[in-house]
Amino acid sequence: MTQAELARVCGVTRQTIIALEAEKYSPSLELAFRLARALGRNLEEVFRFEEK
Amino acid sequence: MFLGPDGWLGIDVGLVGSAVLYAALWLFAIHLSKHSEAAFPADAPLAERQAWVSMVFITLIYFHWLNFVSALPGLGAQADQIANPASRHFAVNLAMLIVGWTVVSGIVRTKNSEPVALDERDLRIQRAAGRAGSALVSVLIIGLISALVVLPERLDPWLRPLIAANVLVGLLIANTLTENVYAVIRYRREYA
Repeated sequence: MTQAELARVCGVTRQTIIALEAEKYSPSLELAFRLARALGRNLEEVFRFEEK
Repeated sequence: MFLGPDGWLGIDVGLVGSAVLYAALWLFAIHLSKHSEAAFPADAPLAERQAWVSMVFITLIYFHWLNFVSALPGLGAQADQIANPASRHFAVNLAMLIVGWTVVSGIVRTKNSEPVALDERDLRIQRAAGRAGSALVSVLIIGLISALVVLPERLDPWLRPLIAANVLVGLLIANTLTENVYAVIRYRREYA
């Protein structure tokens, strides 16, 4: 799946997908679930929580 | 095309100089909007491009406002009239800038139409930009209050109803300018 397709399915801009991949943006819980569903994965497989 | 005052922030550029300056600015803005793919990263979202356009035009409006307001105290009693010598140039320039802003914004929107024009990241940046604008306005208001308390005699020429109204308009312009500058910087930082 391309970034553009993922962005379209999740209802965000492609730049948001790029920012997410670069770890420059933390998505809302709703978007995180939408991304995981679009990728066919569990939330924990797509995102991990790191203490800062 | 766009005839402004002979003097601009104290610099006398003449009528022809003003016309050339504004024509160049217009052509540059339209060129930039038509070839925005060269000015922006390929994946720049529409909201970022719009923030850039707004920032440029509000900056121009802000400098026109500065030019206008700085001329008002020198007008004496005439400054209390809405139709004073300085306001005509300002009104014409402001109208032209708003038309230009609308045209360029429309071109950018048409050339960069996307399935999603505004998503949660854009909204988050806009909310943060709004907070930055509000913070600046608070600082400016505190500065104005302090100036009125500390330097009342020096501000005497400014204490006229229409000048005060224009200063308040300037606060609104500063607020909007800060919002757009903040948004542009936030978007840019995400590419770094």
